[in-house]
Amino acid sequence: MDRILLGDEAVALGAVEAGISAAYAYPGTPSTEIFETIRRHAAEANPPIRGLWSTNEKVALEEGVGVSYAGKRALVSMKHVGLNVAADPFMNVAVAGAHGGLVVAVADDPSMHSSQNEQDSRYFADFAQVPCLEPSNQQECYDFTREAFELSEQLHVPVLLRLVTRLAHSRAVVKSAPPRAQNEARYVDDSSLYTLIPSNARRAYGKLLDKQPAMADYSENHPANALTLRDARLPGILVSGVAWNYLQEALGPALEQYHLLRIGVYPLPVRKIRQLLDASTELWLVEEGYPFIERYVSALGLLREPPIKGKLTGHLPRSGELTPDALRQSFGLPVREALRLRGLDEVLVGRPPRLCDACPHDDAYAAISEAIADIEGEVRVQGDIGCYALGYLKPHQAIHSCLCMGASIGMAIGAAHAGMRPSLCVIGDGTFTHSGMAPLLDAARADVPIKVFILDNSIVAMTGGQPTMATDEQVVDLVAGLGVRRSRIHIISPTPQKKAENVRLIRDEIARDGLSVIIARRACVTYAKVIKEHRRSCKPASV
Amino acid sequence: MNFDLVICGVGGQGVLSIAWVIDQAAVEAGFHIKQPEVHGMAQRGGAVSAFVRMSDAPIASDLVADGTARMVLSVEPMECLRYAKMLRPDGWIVTDVTPLKNVSAYPDTSRLFEVLFSAPRLIAVDAAALARQAGMVKANNMVMLGAAASLLPVPAALIEKHLTALFAAKGERIANANVEAFRMGDAAGRFAAALVADGVPAGIVARVVPRLAFQSRPVQAHITEQWLQRLRAPDAQDAAAHLFGAGELLAADRGPSALTA
Repeated sequence: MDRILLGDEAVALGAVEAGISAAYAYPGTPSTEIFETIRRHAAEANPPIRGLWSTNEKVALEEGVGVSYAGKRALVSMKHVGLNVAADPFMNVAVAGAHGGLVVAVADDPSMHSSQNEQDSRYFADFAQVPCLEPSNQQECYDFTREAFELSEQLHVPVLLRLVTRLAHSRAVVKSAPPRAQNEARYVDDSSLYTLIPSNARRAYGKLLDKQPAMADYSENHPANALTLRDARLPGILVSGVAWNYLQEALGPALEQYHLLRIGVYPLPVRKIRQLLDASTELWLVEEGYPFIERYVSALGLLREPPIKGKLTGHLPRSGELTPDALRQSFGLPVREALRLRGLDEVLVGRPPRLCDACPHDDAYAAISEAIADIEGEVRVQGDIGCYALGYLKPHQAIHSCLCMGASIGMAIGAAHAGMRPSLCVIGDGTFTHSGMAPLLDAARADVPIKVFILDNSIVAMTGGQPTMATDEQVVDLVAGLGVRRSRIHIISPTPQKKAENVRLIRDEIARDGLSVIIARRACVTYAKVIKEHRRSCKPASV
Repeated sequence: MNFDLVICGVGGQGVLSIAWVIDQAAVEAGFHIKQPEVHGMAQRGGAVSAFVRMSDAPIASDLVADGTARMVLSVEPMECLRYAKMLRPDGWIVTDVTPLKNVSAYPDTSRLFEVLFSAPRLIAVDAAALARQAGMVKANNMVMLGAAASLLPVPAALIEKHLTALFAAKGERIANANVEAFRMGDAAGRFAAALVADGVPAGIVARVVPRLAFQSRPVQAHITEQWLQRLRAPDAQDAAAHLFGAGELLAADRGPSALTA
């Protein structure tokens, strides 16, 4: 059946039709639509696919590992920085191995359209010594996902599926194949492999090393790693993933003047690369993301013959996503003539994203900013990840950091220990349950004098309205459960009417010693309807 | 045949819905497509874009190269300028003239229109006015889809079919109003394209068409002919500027008799 699908949706459909029994994810652009699509198909499967919007990526992967341990297939999806959170189970399940097929779909975001870095997930697969499949188009998103499950069960390893924004969030027609039935539940025979006490871990790691030649063979013989050698001494191009699309667009028929090796499957096919190097007068390395292949192939630039041209050598842009235009420029082709309008630059201004009208964060920031305005000396507010990161921009300019999920509370603890008073931070309800609870436990245990603002808008808004893990009194209970005294937990209603009252309360808490948590509680305006639906259903996050 | 289309606007204006409808229609018409779009944070009132690449041969790149797009279709008049460098020199700009001023540095609109209306192939319509007429103030995006329809390689009937499917779940009234908005936009787009094709400077057409009310059917050929004659007159430029500045709507179907310099 032919369908018009986003790359993300094609991955989801591939997983559903590969017979997954469960899926787990934490929302993050550009990966969010994978789990959203699985949720829509979950009920049609027989038996229905189970799963969750998990608390965070680490938990999501551990849940997926549990499914695999029980013999069934699971897809775990996240954005690239989410894999940092899940790095611990990822590295260790590589050692333990997979029983039921386990695929980790990770969406990288080169150019940082919606992210704080552009890290390249191929390094993680390499680090963990597991295969990585890198689709170049939407059809491969579907096909490679299905194949990844087969590979995972064949070699007993987790498989990483690497996506990038322009694939995850681009649509094309995708043909699907007949669905495969789900596995029967059957625990892994050898539980010692999953019990990584040192004596077992050494044996399990030995098994992972023993699997490496099979992975290398798989990659060497895979049709997606296609070598085209021409009958002449010519320059060569080694190209991977979506970079292949831009290369075709940029060079067109001129591609026939190059030897070519396409990469879609890792570990790298070493023999084919050797053949390409031997045949080529010089070698271009064209890959989306970090110069991952280039560093290996050029031996960090130490290799002199043949000359290598890529991101490390300045022949291609070192950061940002590739584009057909960037490649044309790199290969010395003229930029095409475009429409020119005189005076255009004078009448075109940037239009950055902004908080929605009547957003509760607006009122929370207005109150915090006013409360700290007359404090002598510089006051900084540690921020976190979510819509409220827009508080960095005008008009509020109310936060002064945004590092990674959940970092605000830990950074406020550190600033307080460095002697800063007051030490303030803001974090949303979703980010708080993702990874803000552990640092708040630290703060509570040591009664660190920080003031934590939890902006509880009852939803994970920035990624499109996914259910939050805790809101309203649940947040209060969590905070109290972590050891914050009930008398130091305050709830304010961030509205223009309550502003003066809120400012007074914040000033009072700043003046007091010790830890305070101030919860600014008002539901997101944009997702008001969705929040109502979540409240009606008792298990909003699960399928 | 290759047709690269850039669709743009501001988060919340329905840019992605336009792309979805064209995708479905293009595939049914037998084209290969690739259609990247922007999700996530940018959708919070920021600049949003989608590309629709259509071709009778398989398409490699998801991204459109500079200087290769046939059309920029915009739901906001400043936003179309952001993507002008992607247009071929003979490419079309099809845009709403209703500014969305959610940034403090928004340019002076008279200067903005001066630059915009210098584009050689331009269809400008007041999508907000036509959407109101259609009874659905949020249907600006479907008016704009209509305004572009006659220049797209996909039959308008297929676009209408998938537009109806998109809104079907929201009930008959909403679906019908969106179809109505699409047809009014189509009437405006065909009218404007005909005038430009017959040599009326795009700058004149761009100042007249946004001040015309259209029905949900094309303007009759003999009426279009009357407008063509009128807008070739020596005072057409002044008359157009006056009409655009005055901001009142004339009925396109009644001909140009009410247009005065």
